[in-house]
Amino acid sequence: MKNLKMKFARIEQDISQIELANRIGVTRQTIGMIEAGDYNPSLKLCIAICKELGKTLDDLFWEVDSDEKDKK
Amino acid sequence: MRRIRNKKNNLDEMQEQKLLHVERNGAWLAFWGLLAVMIVQLLIFGFEGTERLVGEWVVFMCLSIYIAVGSIRIGVWDRKLEANAKTNLLLSIVASFVSAMVLALVNYRTYQAVEAAVATFVMNVIVLFAVLFICLTCVTQIYKKRLAKLEQEEEE
Repeated sequence: MKNLKMKFARIEQDISQIELANRIGVTRQTIGMIEAGDYNPSLKLCIAICKELGKTLDDLFWEVDSDEKDKK
Repeated sequence: MRRIRNKKNNLDEMQEQKLLHVERNGAWLAFWGLLAVMIVQLLIFGFEGTERLVGEWVVFMCLSIYIAVGSIRIGVWDRKLEANAKTNLLLSIVASFVSAMVLALVNYRTYQAVEAAVATFVMNVIVLFAVLFICLTCVTQIYKKRLAKLEQEEEE
């Protein structure tokens, strides 16, 4: 599943994939794969991304499933 | 002279995982490749060709022992198979049958005698089955003890 929240947060801040990758210390390929939903990052990397984009883990990585939506 | 090798890891976590996957496939390719090479060489040259297989056999055994010991140390048996008597029985039957068949074919290739090949097959099925089943049972017990120890350590 694509991580559009992360992609939008990055675009919102006008940061390219390569720039974000350089700031965190990973490759652009890794950022691309996380956004495309092809790679599940470690918690450590998730936190680094959140810090860099000024978001929380919930903002970028929490997925609300249908059961939770119904409860709300 | 420019340093070629950095102390720092050049890979990020995604690349590290992908590389581990490639290396894992390489290790299994080496394992099955060596086994296939040894069987083919035995079938081509017969028992007279066993001396040529020393190198392959040593590497194959080192690889097998490393994988077995490494897996038991971390408390892992297999992704799909369970460590129980039923699995050991089934594996012993299959492995002894296949090994005995290869040995019978090599015997026939070397001595050109059907009776000797059949006798080799029958004797090896029995002996190999017994040896494999006993070895697997012992290894299963070692694995279970190790797993119990790891579980206990984690609880503490």
